[in-house]
Amino acid sequence: MTTALFSVAGAVAVLASVLVVTSRRIVHAALWLVVALGAVAGCFGALHAEFVALVQILVYVGAIVVLVLFALMLTKAPMNPLPGLTTGRSPFAAVVAAVLALILGAGVVLAFGNEKVKPVTHGSATDVGTEIFKVWVLPFEVLSVLLLAALIGAIALSQRKLSERSDKLSSSEKED
Amino acid sequence: MIATAWRVTGVGFSLLVVLTAGLLYGTDPAQTSFMNSPVGDLTIGFGVRTDDLTVLLLAVVGVIATCVQVYSLGYLHQRPASYHALVTLFTAAMVTVVIADSLFLLLIGWEVMGACSYLLIGHYWERRDARSGAVKAFLMTRLADVGFLFGIFVLGVGAGTFRISELDPAQISPGVLTTGTLLLLVGVVGKSAQVPLQTWLPDAMPGPSPVSALIHAATMVAAGVFLIARLYDVFSASDTIMTVLAIVASVTMLFSALCAMAAVEVKRVLAWSTVSQLAIMFSGLSLGTADGRHAALFHLVTHAAFKGLLFLCAGVLLHQVGSAAFVVLRRYTRRGRLRKALPVTFATMTVGLAALAGVPGFAGFFSKDTVVEAAWHHARDGSVVGWIVLVSVCVTVVLTAFYCMRLWLWVFFRSPALAGALGAFEDDDPMADLEEPDTSKLRDAPWIMLAPLVLLAVASIGLGYADGVQLNWVLALVTTVLALLGALPAYSLWSRGADPRPVVLEREFGVDTAYHGLFVVPVRWFARLAVGGDQDVIGAYVRAAGRAGTLASQGFRRLQTGNVQTYLTAAVVGVVALAVVAGVISS
Amino acid sequence: MPLIVPLLLAVVLFCIGVYGVLARRNAITMLMSFELMLNAVNLNLVAFDAWRLDGLATGQTLAVFVITLAAAEIGLGLAIVLLLFRGHGHVDADSARDLVEVDAVQQEKGAAT
Repeated sequence: MTTALFSVAGAVAVLASVLVVTSRRIVHAALWLVVALGAVAGCFGALHAEFVALVQILVYVGAIVVLVLFALMLTKAPMNPLPGLTTGRSPFAAVVAAVLALILGAGVVLAFGNEKVKPVTHGSATDVGTEIFKVWVLPFEVLSVLLLAALIGAIALSQRKLSERSDKLSSSEKED
Repeated sequence: MIATAWRVTGVGFSLLVVLTAGLLYGTDPAQTSFMNSPVGDLTIGFGVRTDDLTVLLLAVVGVIATCVQVYSLGYLHQRPASYHALVTLFTAAMVTVVIADSLFLLLIGWEVMGACSYLLIGHYWERRDARSGAVKAFLMTRLADVGFLFGIFVLGVGAGTFRISELDPAQISPGVLTTGTLLLLVGVVGKSAQVPLQTWLPDAMPGPSPVSALIHAATMVAAGVFLIARLYDVFSASDTIMTVLAIVASVTMLFSALCAMAAVEVKRVLAWSTVSQLAIMFSGLSLGTADGRHAALFHLVTHAAFKGLLFLCAGVLLHQVGSAAFVVLRRYTRRGRLRKALPVTFATMTVGLAALAGVPGFAGFFSKDTVVEAAWHHARDGSVVGWIVLVSVCVTVVLTAFYCMRLWLWVFFRSPALAGALGAFEDDDPMADLEEPDTSKLRDAPWIMLAPLVLLAVASIGLGYADGVQLNWVLALVTTVLALLGALPAYSLWSRGADPRPVVLEREFGVDTAYHGLFVVPVRWFARLAVGGDQDVIGAYVRAAGRAGTLASQGFRRLQTGNVQTYLTAAVVGVVALAVVAGVISS
Repeated sequence: MPLIVPLLLAVVLFCIGVYGVLARRNAITMLMSFELMLNAVNLNLVAFDAWRLDGLATGQTLAVFVITLAAAEIGLGLAIVLLLFRGHGHVDADSARDLVEVDAVQQEKGAAT
């Protein structure tokens, strides 16, 4: 049952991912990303990691993809298909990725080819939350500091410099 | 300020040397060694000794150095600090040589003297001839010093000791003895400017005149004589060496006396005569007898006095007239000014030349006669060496008298035949008629320069009697007649206003040219070859490396496209490659 | 369920992500590819957690942390992309070549003008 569920979700995820990196329309790619991330969340669910699956949907689909769409909008991304969305190196990149996949896949198969996963329910919010605040408190706190740093960094990056702003202002005044 | 300090130091040090000699006079010979360090079976260390020879040389060095230092106070105004410091160092080095009991200590003093002489000859380094003369002196003495160093090794290892007082010729095998002394002789020949390494001394004359007096008359060149006198037992133990020494000395004295006859510059005449007189000392030493050694040292002392005097007189001429070339001096002389304007110099120079020529009553006469007498005694015993020495010294007496007379007359006296003309030397000066010198301003030198002259003049007379007058009257008569034989042609030539100078003598037998062809030109060729090899072979590799680096960097620069994705691709490819390599290695 | 299935899925997702990062021209799609790679890692973490069952929920916790990190990363990344857009008027990573080596001659010309 779980295997079948997982296989379906996995197939969807792979398909959607391929479309993400090959689609000629950027907005479509972003939407396909939603599908891929959702499918991965399904995979998590199939592995009885319900809390992670929920967080995945909430954070990724709910926050990150929306952020990406906002960014696309801000950068005036065209809706129509673009011929040159991939670089000239893409065949080479495909070869590199294929070789990498071959190596990694071979390694994984050699190492874990005969292992089985027993479906055990232990991924509820209660379980994970207990462990986070019982065992992983310190990394959790560090992560919060990191988030704060990222917040400040993002603000600092997107803030225009004062001189730049005055230049813009004066130039716009001149235009008027 | 610094110059004053060095002046005071220089004079004080020379006086200290004189004082030391005076204090050591009459004391028993003593020796001590220090800082000995065993090396294998040998002991290398320093040692000093005092004996009669040391005291004698200390006195000579001290007196000459004092005269030179005092004289230099008036003579030298250009870079006095370095000058006085170097002269002091030079004196100290000579003192080291004199008091050394260890061959290595002796070598140190010997080499320091070489370096100092290089620096002092090149004192007027703005002048090209001074520079080249300094380099020539340095190279030639250094070449000889290589032989000297190996001579020390051979002798020291052969005898098992480097202490001079412990060197016993009886304990050294004859082969080693001959080899070692022969090598030492090479160093001596170089330092004392004997044939075939004689050419540096005349070319060293562009140095300041007091330095010539100190180095090239009294101390440095005398160091060679001193060394053989110090190691006399070792040297005289080998007949081969004595014969070689006699031949070298005989050839040198004739050669250089002939060269002196044709020189047209006062200092050059004196330089050649120095070489000649040194050869007389060596010939005395080469007899291998105690008499010979005594005669050589006696001549060393008197020669130091009168040759120092002569060089200082030449310095006065240089200082007051501006040149010591005959042609310049003649311009003053033909008006009869030189003698009257420089009375003290004239008188003292006359004394010096008389002593050099061997005029009876002067110091040179007595010391030269001692050499002749020793040679005569030796020759009478049936020794070939004695005969060689006797004949060559006698011929040299004739030649010496000739060039002394010639120098004296041409420099100080109007020629009766050519009273108004420049005489025989105007060919040398293309600007002879250009302007007449202002003779009215010519004055004698200040007293601080004249005082050493007077002192040395007194010594040039008095030293002859210091040893007690023990004349073989027959020999004395013979040498006097010989000297007259040399002086008379000079007088007659002068009175006729002629100064014939054979080309071969003027060119000094072409030795310089021959050396130039034999050594300098091949060395230059080798140098060119080396430079060419350096530029075209080694340099090619260096340049190729540089160009390869430039080309490679130009190539690599293209990799830096500024495209982040290219970099990322390269990084990922690298990771994949590493993974593959790791897999291959581990499997 | 065999462990190999989620692991292979993770490998495939990761390599698609690598391809996307290397091949896509638009900076925002590059960021999306990064998300795919991070997801592959998450999948690995969860799969190994389900396999090991160490009782500490290590893998799941780490997966949650990685998701948080991904959020921070996308925030910063989009800020950078916006900065790029503001400076150049496009978000084309392929033509943003300010890091390129400029010839000395050109530099001098630039300094002169």
